[in-house]
Amino acid sequence: MFEALFRFFFEYSPAMFAQGDIRWAAWTGSFVAVAVTAVAIAAAVVSYRAGARLSLRDRLVLTTLRVAMLLLVLACLFRPVLVVRAAVPQQNVVGVLLDDSRSMQIADADGQPRASYVQTAFGALDAGTLKTLADRFTVRVFRFSSTATRVTSGADLAFTGTETRLGAALAAARQELAGLPLAGLVMVTDGADTADAALGDALLGLKAEAVPVFTVGVGRETLDKDIQIGRVTTPRTALKGTTLLVDVVIAQRGFDGEAVTLDVEDEGRIVSTQKVTLPAGGSPATVPVRITVDEEGPRVLRFRVPALAGELVSDNNQREALIDVRDRREKILYFEGEPRFELKFLRRAVTEDQNVEVVALQRTADNKYLRLGVDNADELVAGFPKTREELFSYRGLVLGSIEAGSFTGDQLRMIAEFVDRRGGGLLALGGPRAFSEGGYAGTAVADTLPVVLDANLRQKEGEVIRLAVKPTRAGAASAVTQVAGTEAASVERWSTLPGVTAVNRLDAIKPGATVLLSAPDASRREYPVLVFQRYGRGKAFAFTPQDSWVWQMHASIPVEDMTHENFWRQLLRWVVDEVPDQVEIRTSSDRVEPGSTVTFTAAVADKAFLELNDASVTATVTGPEGAVVDVPMAWSGEKAGEYKGTFPAAAQGWYEVKVQATRAGTDVGTAVSHVRAAPGEQEYFDATLRAGTLRRMAEDTGGRYYAAGDTSTLADDLRYTGRGVTTVEEHELWHMPIVLLLLVGLLSAEWGYRRVVGLP
Amino acid sequence: MACVVFAQEGFRGRGRMIREIASTKVDYDGRFAFVRLRYQGGFSRDPGWAHDYPRADWHLQRIIEDVSFTRTYRDESNILTLDDPDLSLYPVAYMSEPGFWTLNEAEASGLRAYLQKGGFIIFDDFREARDWANLQGRMADVMPNLRWVTLDASHPVFHSFFDINTLVTEGYYGPAEFRGLFEDNDPRKRLLAVANVNHDLGEFWEFSDTGWMPVDLSNEAYKYGVNYVIYAMTH
Repeated sequence: MFEALFRFFFEYSPAMFAQGDIRWAAWTGSFVAVAVTAVAIAAAVVSYRAGARLSLRDRLVLTTLRVAMLLLVLACLFRPVLVVRAAVPQQNVVGVLLDDSRSMQIADADGQPRASYVQTAFGALDAGTLKTLADRFTVRVFRFSSTATRVTSGADLAFTGTETRLGAALAAARQELAGLPLAGLVMVTDGADTADAALGDALLGLKAEAVPVFTVGVGRETLDKDIQIGRVTTPRTALKGTTLLVDVVIAQRGFDGEAVTLDVEDEGRIVSTQKVTLPAGGSPATVPVRITVDEEGPRVLRFRVPALAGELVSDNNQREALIDVRDRREKILYFEGEPRFELKFLRRAVTEDQNVEVVALQRTADNKYLRLGVDNADELVAGFPKTREELFSYRGLVLGSIEAGSFTGDQLRMIAEFVDRRGGGLLALGGPRAFSEGGYAGTAVADTLPVVLDANLRQKEGEVIRLAVKPTRAGAASAVTQVAGTEAASVERWSTLPGVTAVNRLDAIKPGATVLLSAPDASRREYPVLVFQRYGRGKAFAFTPQDSWVWQMHASIPVEDMTHENFWRQLLRWVVDEVPDQVEIRTSSDRVEPGSTVTFTAAVADKAFLELNDASVTATVTGPEGAVVDVPMAWSGEKAGEYKGTFPAAAQGWYEVKVQATRAGTDVGTAVSHVRAAPGEQEYFDATLRAGTLRRMAEDTGGRYYAAGDTSTLADDLRYTGRGVTTVEEHELWHMPIVLLLLVGLLSAEWGYRRVVGLP
Repeated sequence: MACVVFAQEGFRGRGRMIREIASTKVDYDGRFAFVRLRYQGGFSRDPGWAHDYPRADWHLQRIIEDVSFTRTYRDESNILTLDDPDLSLYPVAYMSEPGFWTLNEAEASGLRAYLQKGGFIIFDDFREARDWANLQGRMADVMPNLRWVTLDASHPVFHSFFDINTLVTEGYYGPAEFRGLFEDNDPRKRLLAVANVNHDLGEFWEFSDTGWMPVDLSNEAYKYGVNYVIYAMTH
């Protein structure tokens, strides 16, 4: 519409004005015209000035109209021209990139698949838009999904690509057409980019070479009726037996108030089913799903809702997530400074947990320790670890009621480094020798804790704070503090648990810390009960009651009640969750397309968790058919302790990557990860037309965006990109309709005004 | 505040005249408090459950606080029945003269839940010949599937604070023996109850500051008491 209006008034396309320069082609007569116009202007001024019947305002208006008209005529007599560089016919190349991905099969283009438009407009060189291009340019057609490959025309497309990588496609086409007189690139797509890499990088290259991209958007920006699993956030790894609380976002349009069933499958076995009523106004529904992962190894969890009547796309009704479930014992050191029942009941709570091992160092008196759950006679024989190597062998550390003065300065720093550098989980429990009351204010440990410690603010000795604990909003939605089957039941359960006590004054939490449990104290302020924060590579927690064992022992708690056990089991598992090993492996993605290359990195550190750049690191990759390949890994040189490797994932299926690091003949450690080579369903997610993205691509590179079916000016616009083999064209501007309209308008205005003021 | 309604007509050597002892409770604040279990039975003017109260109870608390970092009430303690809900706030309980122990259903149920949830009970001041059968019978009412096991010195309860390397000792009523009940009858699991057969540790605790008892024997008695409490707090 804008284009047509512009052309109606200005005769030429906006692209020509954008690219060209306006110059004056004056001739001798132009200068004569100046004199004539000057006389005419003077006459007009004098004439209107003499009109005694006119007011000053009328004279001014009429004079201005007359002068404007005369100046416009004068401007035309100076012959304004638009100088543009136009592509020489058939001397330039245009790259046409056609989206060959599966999302092009979606039938939202007037009931027809998006692919139909591509076939019609770009299916043959002698028809449709492709013909108009071929008439003026040498056309190179590419199809693209993950990358771009040459084809003759759109007729060669199958629309089965499992990815849409706009940036990679543009880069590949640019590379292939390098050295040719390229007028520009035309990209026909729905714009639903599935690449991880930012599009900006690819556009930068095109901008640097001034290659304009003309984008043609296919499809609709919204689907009338669609439901999709919008987002599922799961951890990459989990300890066997862990209960995960996964937030599943169900996005929808056109199904307000509809009830759907959300199923979760673990390798084909349904592990959760729940009814969800979709909210009104097309809003997405966020559904918390509890799943316990109790099978070791790589597990594919499938979240799905059934296809509903009238849905255009049902392939986006399920989404998969990979979790590497690890079956191992995570060792936690619990250092307790005074005999109290908290230690006994905490240990009992996780006795049955095969994946969490609590080693307790109980100080019973001065320099007198009781070691519980140690693996050998030497473990902790000298008390609390004195070296980083010894302390860092644990993955979690629980500090009970033990005063800061019982540690050396170096041990306090070690504890801070345990969190910060080693990435361990630190849990500080309440007690008369903990927090400020234990003298931790101002120590390195205080820096790590999620609560603010002030040496001047201490609880009076003998005064206890009685707590009726309840979850905060964050706590209600957290898996750690869920003590019943559903969020509502869990909140209810917390409200019925017996009260506990605390003896530490805690007035503030750190910025960035999250309170999961709290309780109103005597002054009705919320006393923090369970708080956590990330610190460096690790996490730090404060659990402030001194007697959570009451949740187990209290007379109101039935013998078979597992609330206390579940709470501690969940909390301790969280403390050691994602705590790194000496060797850690990361793959670029947990799923790759069959035939693509997997890039993976390994982070290698010594027992004190100092990065090693001189380790010998090898990866053993076991493919789906059992084929084993050794991949040597080299230090990346980019980051301390980081080693890189790649392998091709040719066949479909699971690949196990086992990284082993040695140094000077000594084993440093091993790590195992899994990657799945399988076609992805990503194409069908958020698969609406991304006009905004395509418009930005065009604007950033100096091209234009067209809606499908509205590409009549495409060939013309490409002609005036100013690139390739061009010739200079001059276009007269004086006969533009806008000039005539202005002249007539000015004359009419003057005549009309004269009539109004009573002049002939 | 704890309310102690307690009348005692003085000490005359090792004999005493107890008129009345009411149940008493400390104001719970997280510290360790000794619990003396009160039951029906025995002589009404000198009930067996109350023998050595309160000096034994308080002396043991003081010793525990003095030798270890355990915080106790020192001069306050509890007298509770087995069906008192507040018993659950004190996971170590002491019963004197279980030979006279009688039990109703509510008490049996209270003790059963207490032990299953993590409580620990000490039986003291009884003779094997006269009292063991009653203790065995009452505990069978509470935990019918559990069997008493004679403990040896290698058990962790004898090393939780002091190292007690031999259990061969002359008890108050003859050669002593220490028997226990284990969770699931598995001696590798938690000890739920300990019985000081033919012994009366409470007697030694009570009179340890008078000079009437040999110091060595008093010390030995404290070792058992301290170890029982520390064990119950850690196992």
